[in-house]
Amino acid sequence: MNMQIIALIEMSATCAVVITWLLQKTASQEFPWMLKVLLTVLIGNLFYWPLGFGMELPLAAYVRGVTGDLSIVTLLLLWTSLLLAAKPTPILFKFVIVLLALCFYPLALGLGMIDPYAWGYGSIAFFIGVLTFALVCGLLNWVKGVWIIAIAIIAWAAHWHESANLWDYLLDPFLAIWALLAPLGILNRRRKEKARSGYLFRPG
Amino acid sequence: MNRVIALCFLLLAAVIGFLHIDSLPVWVPFVISSPTAAEEQLELVPNTKSKIPDPIGTWLPETGAASVHAASLIALKDGGIRAFWFAGSREGAADVVINSTVFDPKSSSWSAPTVVMDRVSAEKGLSRYIAKLGNPVPARMADGRLQLFFVTVSIGGWAGSSISSVISADEGSTWSQPQRLITSPLINLSTLVKSPPLSFADGRLGLPAYHEWIGRFGEFLRVDAGQVIDKRRMSSGRSAIQPLVFVNSAQDATAYFRQTRSANQPKQVPVSQTHNAGQSWQPAEDLPIPNPNSALAGLQLNNGARIMVLNNIETGRYRLVLMMSDGQSGKWQMIEVLEDDEALPDEQRKEFSYPYLISVDGNDAHLVYTWNRQKIRHRYFSGAWLKHAHSQLTTPELEAPIPYSGG
Repeated sequence: MNMQIIALIEMSATCAVVITWLLQKTASQEFPWMLKVLLTVLIGNLFYWPLGFGMELPLAAYVRGVTGDLSIVTLLLLWTSLLLAAKPTPILFKFVIVLLALCFYPLALGLGMIDPYAWGYGSIAFFIGVLTFALVCGLLNWVKGVWIIAIAIIAWAAHWHESANLWDYLLDPFLAIWALLAPLGILNRRRKEKARSGYLFRPG
Repeated sequence: MNRVIALCFLLLAAVIGFLHIDSLPVWVPFVISSPTAAEEQLELVPNTKSKIPDPIGTWLPETGAASVHAASLIALKDGGIRAFWFAGSREGAADVVINSTVFDPKSSSWSAPTVVMDRVSAEKGLSRYIAKLGNPVPARMADGRLQLFFVTVSIGGWAGSSISSVISADEGSTWSQPQRLITSPLINLSTLVKSPPLSFADGRLGLPAYHEWIGRFGEFLRVDAGQVIDKRRMSSGRSAIQPLVFVNSAQDATAYFRQTRSANQPKQVPVSQTHNAGQSWQPAEDLPIPNPNSALAGLQLNNGARIMVLNNIETGRYRLVLMMSDGQSGKWQMIEVLEDDEALPDEQRKEFSYPYLISVDGNDAHLVYTWNRQKIRHRYFSGAWLKHAHSQLTTPELEAPIPYSGG
């Protein structure tokens, strides 16, 4: 299958997952699993096929123009968090991503002569580092992390996306932003829990 | 149990990953510069007054576009020259297209211009929204096909650029679907091309590129057909873009940059050097030639002489000169003033910019440059003319450095 078609399908699915997730957030009750799948497929198709209305491209291609291809890690985390009722991503993983991103992006974008992004083109040391990270995820009992990183490595070796750089399969700025926002999510959840427990004890 | 299966899968991924790394091509030396040899020596209309023909000048055909810029050239197998440039209502407009035309050296004329790429073809081929097109840079692949790298922007200004490429098996008459080069980890933003690529001994291309968003620095891309397989930083910070690479030997090369320094820093040509075929680059001492934050073009001739075309002033782009170095001393001397509006008041001065140089037989030089953003000027310097200029270089009375009058 053409690499561009794969990329558009991925982007359509991602847009559909995000919209379904937003719908779920605004809904008063939890959607049944089948409804989530149905919504994702329906919205995904809307993004994938050219709709006309004066647009030269399908909606997914406009989103892709802005975001580029997302990393395999981001895709799998996003898709599975909506469709599989898994336990939340460990805070430690998010913390490491934030730390990594804060060091990686300034260096990769021109600070100094060391470019860590270049390691992603086939540095053995970097690859061993990634494997070690996945192994640690496994030892800390976050099995989903092991699967996701392993799939990302295979996707890189298979040249699944346009990039030949392993970094592009593991990390993207959206993953970093998501990880950075994690503390806000935790605070929000705590606030909600507090509000809910308060409601229980409110006099009727 | 679940964990054991996951770890086994990770082991499988590790094996596949190591096999993949093992299959990647190793870094190889440069090919020592040898321009594409034309089958026939160029014979341009001889100048009857002198044995050495004067440089000839032509204009690239106009397409009716109000704004043109960033012309580049490549020698064709039949001795012709193919030019590329972008043209539209203004730089960065959605109607900008990449045009092409072929120069026939026998008649000294250009063919009717064609459109190689427009915005809609680019976005359909790349399956993503494209807002505008930019610099085209052609290359000759090891298998004889032509490859055209070009800049596209989806969001923002030129800082939001990415590089794509198309390939032609018929010397540029028809082109393949575009492919995107992934060069940056931040949404693939901000990599551009301007200068000609060079060849590695394994037939792959080394493409000098640059970032101009948060940082402004040179990058050296190792390109295998439509994808980047490695890249190395040529400079860092915010001071040097558009690297032009001269290959000194199989391992050594020197890059000259367009400076983009802040106001209180020297307005000279920044330099980087490599001693391991581009795997690592070290900043070196500036070339003492003024640079007003504008692109430079260069070429090494078969006799070892090097030529450069640039604006040798600190501000403005109203003067364009041809300089030559014997290749050994590293000293550059001006041999011809190509354009000069210094005598005119500021508001009447035209802009002469974005030069691009190639040689067909290794002795001569074709130059194109933007003429006041309205037209593309072409100049041809014959091998005899350049040889004569080179012989003048070595004359003792001319060895005193020519002062560069800053503007």
